[in-house]
Formats: sequence, C-alpha cells, structure tokens
Amino acid sequence: MIPDRIIEQGTLTAHGSRSSVEVRIPWYRALPGSCIAGAKLSIDGIPAAPETLRWEMNGTEFTFEELRDNTAEWWFPLDSAVLSGEVPVAADGGDHTVDVDLTLYIPYIVISDNEVLHIEEHDTKTMKAVNA
Amino acid sequence: MTEPLGTPIQGVTLYSFTRASHQREYDLEALIRKVAAEGYGPGLEIIGFSSFRGFPEIDDSFAGWFKDLVAETGLVQTSLAVNADIGIHRDRLLNQDELIEYMRRQIKAAATLGFPIARVQISLTPDSMEQLVPIAEEYDVTLALEVHADQYASHPRILALRDRYEQVGSRHLAFTMDWGATVTGFAPSLLEAYRRRGASEDLLAAVVELWNGYYAEGPPANQQVHGQRFGSFIGLAARNGRPELGIDFAINGTGLFGPARVEDWLEILPWVRHVHGKFFGIDENHEEPSVPVRELVALLVENGYNGAISSEYEGWHWNHWQSPFDIIRDEQAVQRSAAANAGSRMITDRAEAARVLAAHLAAPVPHLT
Repeated sequence: MIPDRIIEQGTLTAHGSRSSVEVRIPWYRALPGSCIAGAKLSIDGIPAAPETLRWEMNGTEFTFEELRDNTAEWWFPLDSAVLSGEVPVAADGGDHTVDVDLTLYIPYIVISDNEVLHIEEHDTKTMKAVNA
Repeated sequence: MTEPLGTPIQGVTLYSFTRASHQREYDLEALIRKVAAEGYGPGLEIIGFSSFRGFPEIDDSFAGWFKDLVAETGLVQTSLAVNADIGIHRDRLLNQDELIEYMRRQIKAAATLGFPIARVQISLTPDSMEQLVPIAEEYDVTLALEVHADQYASHPRILALRDRYEQVGSRHLAFTMDWGATVTGFAPSLLEAYRRRGASEDLLAAVVELWNGYYAEGPPANQQVHGQRFGSFIGLAARNGRPELGIDFAINGTGLFGPARVEDWLEILPWVRHVHGKFFGIDENHEEPSVPVRELVALLVENGYNGAISSEYEGWHWNHWQSPFDIIRDEQAVQRSAAANAGSRMITDRAEAARVLAAHLAAPVPHLT
C-alpha cells in the first residue's frame, strides 16, 4: 500500500550498542498489536538479532511476543512507532542505510477457514544518525 | 407503472485522500473543511479505524465536536465504514458471540457519531447479519454490506445474503454497491505506474490481454477459478522476467478490477442503500477510462436510487503524480453529467441531501420494484 513511508526520514538514533528508527504503518487503517507480527531492522546491511528487537507504541515498549495477544494497544495511521534493536550506529555525520521489514496481519481479509491475509512490506532509506 | 427517476446524493469518502492524510498534510478537521470548501460533498463517508483515534470507543465530547464540525461545514454524514476483524487474534478466528459484540461496539460508534449507515464487510454471513438486526434497530443504523471485487451481485454468497434479507424483511439490512465489481478495463493509471517501474510495453500489453480475456469470460464462478486467475497474473510476470510484479498484478487484476457487467447489479439493487463510486483515474478527456461511471449512474437513476454515492478514488495506491483532489473533482463532474443525461440530477444541496437520505433509509424493503 504505502511501503515507501515506513521509515521516517531523519529518525535514526544511536543508543550505545542499540539503534532505533521511527516507523509508520504502510496501511490505511489502525491495527492492534496482535496484527503486528514481526519486523527486521538492519543498519548498513548488519541486522539486529531478532530477540533484541523492541517495538514502542503509544508510549510503551513491547517485545514482538508481547504484541501477539495484545488487542488493547492500536497503531494509529498518524502515529509513529519506534523500532529498536541491538545493532550499533555511529552518529558520525555520515550516511547510513536503514532497512526495515514489517509483517502485518490484515484481520478482516479471511483467506481460509482459519487464516487471514498477512502482508510483508519493506522500506530502505539513507540518513544520518543522531545520539539519543 | 414507471419508476420515478432517482436523484443520487453526491459525496465522497475520506479514503480517497488516504495519501494526503497519512503524510499528515491534512488532519481530520482540515480534510473535512477541504472537502466542504471544494464542493465534494454534501455526502461524507469516513472509515472508523482510519480517522478516529481509539475507535470504536468514542466519547461524547468528541462526538459533539465532530457533529458540530460537520454541521458547520454543511456536509451530511452518510456511511461510517466499519470492519469485521474476524482474525484479530492471530491464532484463531473470533467466535460468533465475540464477532457480534465486536460489531455492536462499532454500530454504536456510528450512532454516537451521527452516521445513519454502517458499511460492513463480506466476512459477515447471513446468520451474522440476521443476528445483528436487533442491534441495528436499537441504534437505528442501516447495515450496508459491501459487494466488492472479487465478489459481485450474482455471486452465490451475495445471493444468499439477499435471500436472507428478503426473509428477515428489516429495512436495516442492506448492501453497499462498490463499482469495482463492474470494471471494463485494467486501469491505465496503474499501467503507467508499472511503466514507471520499468515494465516493458510488451509485458503491459500482455497484462491487458489477460485481463480482457477474463472480462470476456465474466467474473469467476467460484474460488477455484478466482485462484487460477490470481495465479495466471503471477505466472505472466515470472515468464516476462519481472516476478516481483506478479503479486501486484494478481491482487489488482482480480481484487480491484472486477469483470462483472453493470446489469448484474439488478440482482440486488432494491437492497442497495449506499454506493461506493469506486474509480481509479481520470484521462485526458476528463473521463474515467476503466469504470463505466456513466452507465452505473444511469442504472441507479433509472431504478429510482436516492441514496448517496461516495466517490471512492483508489488510484492513490500507485498514482504519485496527480492530485487526488483534482481527480475527485473531475469524477464527480462525470457523475453529474451522467445523471443529467439520464434525465435527472445529483443532489448537491445540503438540506435536500439530508431530507432525501433520511427518506431513502426509512423506506421499507424492497423499496424499489
């Protein structure tokens, strides 16, 4: 839908051995945490290990495991979430390539007796990093 | 007896402006004011989960602010698009009680916000629709189930719903007609988007030829045929060395551009209480090149339809180079011209729209013959 908008330009932030970037929903409507099935984050081609990834939404930080059953917190289309993980970036004034993959479940498009559509979207952008 | 000609109400869904709203160019208030100022109303349709933070929980002070804004800008609320999120839990589908409760909260939100119609979706079965009738009556909200490609009016699932509506006889059970079910060509603006992504003219010609073949055959008779068509677009892209375009061809070729004929709508027209004037673009002659807007408006007028047509521009997914506002303006001009050619007109006056819509929704079933 709107995958070119996933990564917010100019939001790459260094937190010691971790990095974070702000992300927008590539879909037209809000989705609950339970429909945010997973993400990947790479900086300059180096991926953050999956178990180190965290998702901050509506002021609270979650693991993807914690999002699995969460139908109380929603990702609103105008809000940025923050994706972070264990991968360093230097706020050295140089350009860095950020890659984000997102897997979302679309809860109203039922494709079989027990399954709904999921979409996988990818965005890549180049930007400078700042320190937290 | 000759049916009196219908006077459809002009309107728009804010979904048409998703790209502008998503990029924070217009917030909800600014977008509503823009729609009113540009004369895209009076009908106003909104998707609950797109535009209302915290939906479906709506507090009274917000609802008051919203209704005051709509009144001040001279618009008329038509449909609140709600979602049957049956798969909201990742590991299982909602059970029937949960689904009814999930829908009840959204129907209540429609009433709180002042929308007389809730657009619902195909994942609701005839049993679910019947079960929702007391809730729809309690809140006096018409449930208009959207008939959207790859469904179409004479699809067995839609006919099963229609037959149940007939049995139940509630004026709160209805359909939303989505013009995407009756498209006549693969949208040229989408072909242009593929061209800009480097697709060759040969590949684009092959996509058009494949779709035209399905148009000649008519809509898929069942899910198996639908699946075969979906797969054929993927295969075509792969054979032409552009496998990454395959899913996109398939989703759009089968899910956006439905190949049913305009007359197919006659199967359910008496139960159509809302319309999505789905379209994909406007060409250099200021016409919609792949949706038969003129025929669809004529069909509605000739059959006495007095509900709203929400212009629903879907080309924003791929068209980055044209303003959705200009495109809506031009498509609505086509609708007005078509209504005039059919011997009638589109309603653009607020007071008349409010009066005609209320009467349209209050009419018993079937309200057309």
